[in-house]
Amino acid sequence: MKEYFDLQLVMTNRKIKESGINPALGYLLGLLTLVLLSEYIFHKTEFAKYVVILTCLSFQFRLSEKHRMDFLLSTFGDKSKYKIRVLENIIVCLPFASILTFKFLFLEAIILFLCSISIALFSFRTSLNFTIPTPFSKNPFEFTTGFRKTFLIFLLAYALSVIAINVGNFNLGIFSMLLIFLITLSYYSKPEEEFYVWVHADTPKSFLMKKMMIATKNSILLTIPISLGLLVFYPTYYDLILLFLLIGFLFLWTMILAKYSAFPSEINLPEGIIIAFALSFPPLILLIIPYFYTKSIKNLRRILND
Amino acid sequence: MIKIKELNKYYGNNEVLKEINMDFLRGKVYGIVGENGAGKTTLFRCIAGLENYSGEIISQITPLKNHLGLLFTDPFFFSKITGKEYIRLLCNARNKKNVNIDQKNIFDLPLNQYASSYSTGMKKKLAITAILLQENECFILDEPFNGVDIQSNIVLTEIILKLKELNKTVLISSHIFSTLSDTCDEIYLLRKGEQIKSVQKEDFKLLEQEMKDFTIGNRIEKLELK
Repeated sequence: MKEYFDLQLVMTNRKIKESGINPALGYLLGLLTLVLLSEYIFHKTEFAKYVVILTCLSFQFRLSEKHRMDFLLSTFGDKSKYKIRVLENIIVCLPFASILTFKFLFLEAIILFLCSISIALFSFRTSLNFTIPTPFSKNPFEFTTGFRKTFLIFLLAYALSVIAINVGNFNLGIFSMLLIFLITLSYYSKPEEEFYVWVHADTPKSFLMKKMMIATKNSILLTIPISLGLLVFYPTYYDLILLFLLIGFLFLWTMILAKYSAFPSEINLPEGIIIAFALSFPPLILLIIPYFYTKSIKNLRRILND
Repeated sequence: MIKIKELNKYYGNNEVLKEINMDFLRGKVYGIVGENGAGKTTLFRCIAGLENYSGEIISQITPLKNHLGLLFTDPFFFSKITGKEYIRLLCNARNKKNVNIDQKNIFDLPLNQYASSYSTGMKKKLAITAILLQENECFILDEPFNGVDIQSNIVLTEIILKLKELNKTVLISSHIFSTLSDTCDEIYLLRKGEQIKSVQKEDFKLLEQEMKDFTIGNRIEKLELK
């Protein structure tokens, strides 16, 4: 069992290293992010304790995924499997329970701890057996797979936009539109297998153009209900709506180009820092796009013919 | 025609392919055999342009990669993509639009289900269907018969013979010698990255016996089975 946890630690350290951060610094940053985020959530909403509990449980549900549980059972046997799972859930629970304790929510911390141990005893299927329909089947794959993984967030974004219109909160409407863009950006955060780039009968330039065109078309389809709603109900803010739409597309293109500028590796710290700069000062994006574009073209030449 | 001249490939200091010279003609089927780690997959990746190498790979069809159907030993599938979408993705990539996928589903695959939920054999059949519908001129099939049921293996053998009839170039690696002797015109033997020999159809039996003798040797005795 000790070997199992040693191996988990080694694997985690490797993942942090691969993202370009020293593991010790990574853990420190992770802890700091958790503290700052929890402070922010507790400052912003009265439901913060539920957010903390649900976040913790969602991590633990993933660890109880059926295939994973089957693997643990076949490798370590029944008794050790439960020991490992209980210990894993306690490790995941500790930071969240600590946050609740620091906020004097002792009862909630105890409940979370008990729930964590209970969850460890069960296995769950996290994937659905039926195929979720998508409007993007004609041009797989980023939006097709991404939509299926995140469609609930789209429902939330559309619901938020309806609320925004009902209560007359324009900012909330813009937020719901940006939420859609944020989700679509995540579809390009991980590189695909080399084969899925290689297979294209395109030059690097036409490949990138094709990717950006499809992304633009698909995100128009996803944002149009919100942007149209906002344009109808807030016609005087049309310039702001169009500006945010444009910013959304610019970031989407940046993300695609950043992905292929690092390809076949994942977007690493340098690209991440550049994107973070652009987020804090959006006009920078006009410099960043050509930079990532040139880098992507150079990078893709290795597997695509010019 | 594809011509490989003096091909060398290194991973760091490790030479994985040494002085490879091979010719692949149109309308012919070629087998590449060798133990695990002999360099078969690396050779295929070099031909596909997925690896850097020294030496030359010359093709009459340029760029070769745009006319090459590549089947990996263990094809990768995205987690939430259906069989039909996978085929469409690969066809779109080669600008082959409006393919009637349902009609051409010769292996009767459940195309509306997620490909990642398929069995090993079904995944392989899906990947084969996709590269066939791309209408390629050349095919590299790395272990196409592995994990596929016997009925589909028969279909696959017939497909390979049909591709040959259609004047395509087909390269196959397989650990099942009978599948190669049924389909190939010539077999290249690789051992530790070196091209040991090439054998024509009439000598396949001799090659099989030679490989058996070399591979088995006194290994079984070493086990001292009781």
